[in-house]
Amino acid sequence: MIQIDIHKRLHGAHGDMDLDVSLEIQKGEFIALMGESGSGKTTLLRVLAGLENAEGDISVEDVLWLGDQKTLPPQQREIGFIFQDYALFEHMNVEENLLFVNQDRSLAQRLLEMTELSRLSQRNVKGLSGGQKQRVSLCRAMMKQPKLLLMDEPLSALDPAMRTKLQDEILKLHKTFGITTIMVSHDTDASYQLADRIWVLDHGKIIADGRPEEILVKSTKEVYTLCK
Amino acid sequence: MQGILNVISLDVAPFILSFKLAGVTTVILFVLSLPLAWYLSQSSSKTKPVLEAVTALPIVLPPSVLGFYILVVLSPNSAVGAFFEDLFGVKLVFSFTGLVVASCFYSLPFMVQPLQSGFESLNKHMLEASYLAGKSKLQTVFKVALPNIKPSLITALIITFAHTVGEFGVVLMVGGSIPGETKVASVAIYEMVEVMEYGTAHIYSAFMVLISFIVLLSVYIFNHSQRKIGVL
Amino acid sequence: MRQVNMKKIVLGLVLSLATLSAGEIKIAVAANVSYAIEPLKKAFNVLYPKTNIEVILGSSGKLTAQIKNGAPYELFMSANMKYPEVLYKEGIAVTRPVVYAQGALAYVSVKAQDFTQGLRLLTEGKIKKIAIANPKTAPYGVAAVEALKNAKMYDAVKEKFVYGESISQTVTYAMTAADIGFIAKSSLFSPQMAHFKEGIHWSDVDETLYTPINQGMVILKKAEGRPEVKAFYDFMLSAKAQEILKNFGYEVE
Repeated sequence: MIQIDIHKRLHGAHGDMDLDVSLEIQKGEFIALMGESGSGKTTLLRVLAGLENAEGDISVEDVLWLGDQKTLPPQQREIGFIFQDYALFEHMNVEENLLFVNQDRSLAQRLLEMTELSRLSQRNVKGLSGGQKQRVSLCRAMMKQPKLLLMDEPLSALDPAMRTKLQDEILKLHKTFGITTIMVSHDTDASYQLADRIWVLDHGKIIADGRPEEILVKSTKEVYTLCK
Repeated sequence: MQGILNVISLDVAPFILSFKLAGVTTVILFVLSLPLAWYLSQSSSKTKPVLEAVTALPIVLPPSVLGFYILVVLSPNSAVGAFFEDLFGVKLVFSFTGLVVASCFYSLPFMVQPLQSGFESLNKHMLEASYLAGKSKLQTVFKVALPNIKPSLITALIITFAHTVGEFGVVLMVGGSIPGETKVASVAIYEMVEVMEYGTAHIYSAFMVLISFIVLLSVYIFNHSQRKIGVL
Repeated sequence: MRQVNMKKIVLGLVLSLATLSAGEIKIAVAANVSYAIEPLKKAFNVLYPKTNIEVILGSSGKLTAQIKNGAPYELFMSANMKYPEVLYKEGIAVTRPVVYAQGALAYVSVKAQDFTQGLRLLTEGKIKKIAIANPKTAPYGVAAVEALKNAKMYDAVKEKFVYGESISQTVTYAMTAADIGFIAKSSLFSPQMAHFKEGIHWSDVDETLYTPINQGMVILKKAEGRPEVKAFYDFMLSAKAQEILKNFGYEVE
């Protein structure tokens, strides 16, 4: 179980804002984090990863990552992170990107097979397409065998066909490994398909927290209203 | 015939000294500048502009000013110079060691700035991905940052080397023109001109130009070929 | 020894005064005279207030090289006779070199030294670096080497030499990082050196050890017979200038 209770003052383009989040996540849950741009979604993810500071507590399966006395650096948090711009290691090939995280060759091979990247394993990542890069990014994050997988709009830079494909792969990996996941997304479709639970963040505060059917109504109009 | 004989009996000591000085300075400066350049690239502290200005000073200061201050501060008659001489037996002026110290000041910005620039242009997320992979800042610098700034790295090394080979004003002040120890090629050529031995001055100068050109050419060819492969 | 024809001098001065127009003259001056040149200029301007003198300082060797390559100097005061003679032979100087002063060699240290032992002092362990002017380009460096060779000290101390590009750089070395330096005695009479005491910080080098440093002066072709230049030339040979030079440690007629 993951317990989050954090507070951080944000300075945004539209003025200052307080990020106040207090939540619990059960092991293996898949959470879609939605909300307007600038509502603090990426910041929340970065705080969880240890890339940014905050006040409060974060504990992950009884290990304190953030508390009064200590802040665990990102190196020591068992996190997998997928950036919106992939952030692959450009001087390495696909396989090396994975092995950089963890030397386990067989795990790397398995992940590459599951994401259909095996034949590209020796290719330098600079030459890959967006969809391929994102899949490498996904595998690389999984190599960590993390307790928490964080994804920052993993699908937004992809074309619709690629988006569907990647969605399927995320689902497949989640079913296979069962890793607790938080995915930031604007894509209501993906959120509905993948998530067990949806959080909606507005001006730094969670204004909705529930199952996809509760939050996302099939009526197009209401979906757009809630998640513009 | 006489001309060829002159070339054969050419005293190569000043050249060897120039390139040795440039080589040693480049290596030492790389080690010293790497942490500084990294820190400047990652920091947004208020003291950053001060540090950057201080680092850039040697570009702007006339070499004679730099040389003069080094002469005064590092001389055995001063506290600093006396300390080094008494404790380590190291002479900081009128010696090759002194020239290395002076050259490190003189060429500092030429190593720091390209490195800093290179680091600043890196995708921050890529560095964060390295931290999240469990790598320390030090490991990240060597395994992720440096390999991705090869052009800047090469620029830094080459410019520092070349700048030090061409060093004159500082060396003249601090070196004492001792043959075989501090009489580098630039000073030797200057002296040739002063005593109107123009023939020898031409030979020395042509040699310097040739060697320097070959070094630079090789580097740019290497750079170009790396780009073609797609590594850069 | 130079010839002094008082009548010629006086006549020249009077004529110059009569024909003098406000002008600027460029004179190349050997580094060792840099200390005396200000008082000399001042004294000259008392007589010729409208003539502006621009002084270019340097080692005699460098100045000669510049002059040979067309530098716009009109008068050259060297630290020896050799360079002016070369210029005269090549027709770049239009007057035969005359001696305007005889330079003296001294050695100086910022720390108090025992000068009673003479040059033997240089062989002591605590004297680690000896500054001399580069003998290839500076006559005072030649004199220093000559003196040491005649005193049979040269081989013992030559490892300790650091070479100043000019006599003025040698002074800088002597004042900063070298333990002792061979300098032009004239530098000791500038106000900045007033606190150095003879016998404690400096001493004359025995003049029998080196060939007298006859310093020669020539008017250069570029002067094109300008009366201001001639005026300064004559002034340098006059009693007033000689007196100033004597105050700076030079030997005069």
